Amino acid sequence: MRTTRRSRAFGAILVALALLTAACSGDSGESAKADTPITVASFGFSESVILAEIYAHALEANGYSVERRLNLGPRELIFPELEAGNIDLLPEYVGSSLVVGFGLDAPSDLDAAVEALGAAFADLDMDVLDPAPGEDKNVFVVTQDFASATGVTSVSDLAGAGDITLGGPPECEARDTCYQGLLGTYGLSNISFESIQEGSARVAALENGEIDLSLLFSTQPVITAKGFVALNDDAGLIAPENIIPVVSREVTDAFGDDVTSLLNSISAKITTDVLLDLNGKVELDGESEADVAAQWLADNGLDG
Amino acid sequence: MTEFFTEVAEWFADADHWIGADGIPMRTLEHVWLAVLSTGIGAAVAIPPAVYLAHRRIGAFTANALINIGRAVPSFGIIVIAGLLFINAGLSLRFWPIVVALVALALPPIFTNAYAGISSVERSIVESARGMGYTDGQILRSLEMPLATPVILAGVRIAFVQVMATVPLGAILSSGGGLGQYIVRGFAKGVAGRAEVFCGALLVALLTVLADWTWGKIERAAIDEGVRAITSGSSP
Amino acid sequence: MILGQQDGRPFIDWAWIGNHTDELWERFVEHVVLTGLAVAIGLALSLVLAAIAIHWRSTYQPILAVSSILYTIPSLAAFAFLVAVFGLFSLATALIPLITYTLLILVRNIVTGIDGVPDSVKEAADGMGYRPARRFLTIELPLAAPVVIAGLRVATVTVVGLVTVTSLLGRGGLGFFILNGFRKSIVSPTEILVGTVLVVALAAGLDALLLGLERLMTPWRRGETT
Repeated sequence: MRTTRRSRAFGAILVALALLTAACSGDSGESAKADTPITVASFGFSESVILAEIYAHALEANGYSVERRLNLGPRELIFPELEAGNIDLLPEYVGSSLVVGFGLDAPSDLDAAVEALGAAFADLDMDVLDPAPGEDKNVFVVTQDFASATGVTSVSDLAGAGDITLGGPPECEARDTCYQGLLGTYGLSNISFESIQEGSARVAALENGEIDLSLLFSTQPVITAKGFVALNDDAGLIAPENIIPVVSREVTDAFGDDVTSLLNSISAKITTDVLLDLNGKVELDGESEADVAAQWLADNGLDG
Repeated sequence: MTEFFTEVAEWFADADHWIGADGIPMRTLEHVWLAVLSTGIGAAVAIPPAVYLAHRRIGAFTANALINIGRAVPSFGIIVIAGLLFINAGLSLRFWPIVVALVALALPPIFTNAYAGISSVERSIVESARGMGYTDGQILRSLEMPLATPVILAGVRIAFVQVMATVPLGAILSSGGGLGQYIVRGFAKGVAGRAEVFCGALLVALLTVLADWTWGKIERAAIDEGVRAITSGSSP
Repeated sequence: MILGQQDGRPFIDWAWIGNHTDELWERFVEHVVLTGLAVAIGLALSLVLAAIAIHWRSTYQPILAVSSILYTIPSLAAFAFLVAVFGLFSLATALIPLITYTLLILVRNIVTGIDGVPDSVKEAADGMGYRPARRFLTIELPLAAPVVIAGLRVATVTVVGLVTVTSLLGRGGLGFFILNGFRKSIVSPTEILVGTVLVVALAAGLDALLLGLERLMTPWRRGETT
């Protein structure tokens, strides 16, 4: 009897010691990082995948655990997941996020736009970090032949160019930053819309003459590679579109300044030229997004 | 829930959705045409070799192996590869890439059934016909084909239904894809596009059921009464 | 020109494969898991439905009809609705359409297989005192095995192909490479082809495995050629 009671007490002391050791372990920060995986998401085009990979890689190099949800689709498809709190980090674009994501007007001043975006995301329990210097805007492009034949250099010139078909992804039809903007802000009534989901198919259709005008992104090197002409946005349809990571409160609460300053230091180095360069490596040279991201981080001394 | 169905009703009631190249009639036509053409090409390509091989009782193993592999090739992969080749060649993505993928989809069921249909004709019947002096060609034409026709038609019907449900794949690559374009577009629009997705899916499902039912009628009409009696085991 | 150099890039970049074995493996595993879950759950559901259809014959046609309708719903439409219910990232969203695709062929094949069991065998089992459930599991199902596994083979191969479409949900298994390869403004043939070839290999492999399983389960048929 006495032996059993003593061995029980001994056992209890051992357990208590073990718990104490675990609690005081200097490793608690690291295990917290491993316990709270950060879900990084991206839109359905390669630049977004590259950006997401850059942030994801950097986080992993600093000991965070990351779950990737890449190549998802347009903002319309992803926003419900943001609202539901299923995404922790998304590399957003200031102007489009305001207009398409929240249905708000986008001020042409970057700081004002970022503030407005911050307020909007606050309602979703998310924080906006510092915007990057790099921008990627919607551009409307035509082929060199079309430009020579019609003499268009700006979007408003399209008014006198006859019946025009715009090729864009499905979500473009309803967006103010896209087809609706051409109809509304530019007042162009001679433009019809054709839905072509994938960028590569749009480029092919533009070259074929199946569409006259295509929506592309300003940092896609295919524009210069194929000699397309990006029309000037003279009515200022497109607001500042700086890259801006948005992060969930869950993550900022859990990791605080460590994670935000890490992400901000990366964003600071992302310029428009960087975007063009990395996009070129992926789209023209056929490298993978993950490789390009890792290489860029290494080249800039940002990988931990 | 009720507001969703109101949206659906509104979508159908919108006159704009019934006119023009993007309207329901034109897209239905495009959808049916893609399915009919692809199934037709599939039948033309698959039935003759299947009938020949089964008639001669050769190639069963190789044919089956190839068909299994054919079934294993994903339609999504085929259409993207076809798209890639067409882009390289500077051709339009709107029509032929999806046809290629659909023909590939139709081949296995049509081939399998044609082969099974011919080879299931009882040897004893064929032998007695040969004994009666029928030539090879006559056996094939007047004996094996009529008896195999129900099974062959069943194979074409299976292929047709699968093809009808897969036409929407074309909408991922272009503005084609028949009624599937509504589904792809609505999907990309998130919450705002749900009514469009539903309408597209409903139209595809209805069209497929209608096509299957029509096909059943054709089967009835095309198969001789006597043949039906033999193959169903009852006496005429 | 079509199959040669593409804007200065070789058509297939073999080095890419070597550099991406990790990702390829991850996506391969994802593909196998999605397929395995869909077919396993589909089989379980089909067994239940088939048992119901056999016991209450009047339910057979309605069950087949509902399965057919589910079969004709394009997967993308199904995804759109499941996204509304379960969210974009939920496994259920990707898995449910894959499962419903297997029901039609599996239910039909199980019922046909069971119906193909000779009455004399069933009566003998009854005569030996077998309860219906035991008869179903130990006599009828094994004898129905060839037909059931034939259906299982088609269902598995079909699901392997369909998993590629889940790439539109950000998943896709090996289909991720097919979509991603196309999602650049100048497409990447290497990713697309590698993805497709691996999908075919996986489907063919699973098909062969199931064929082997059938041979194992039916030793009395070893002398026959299919």
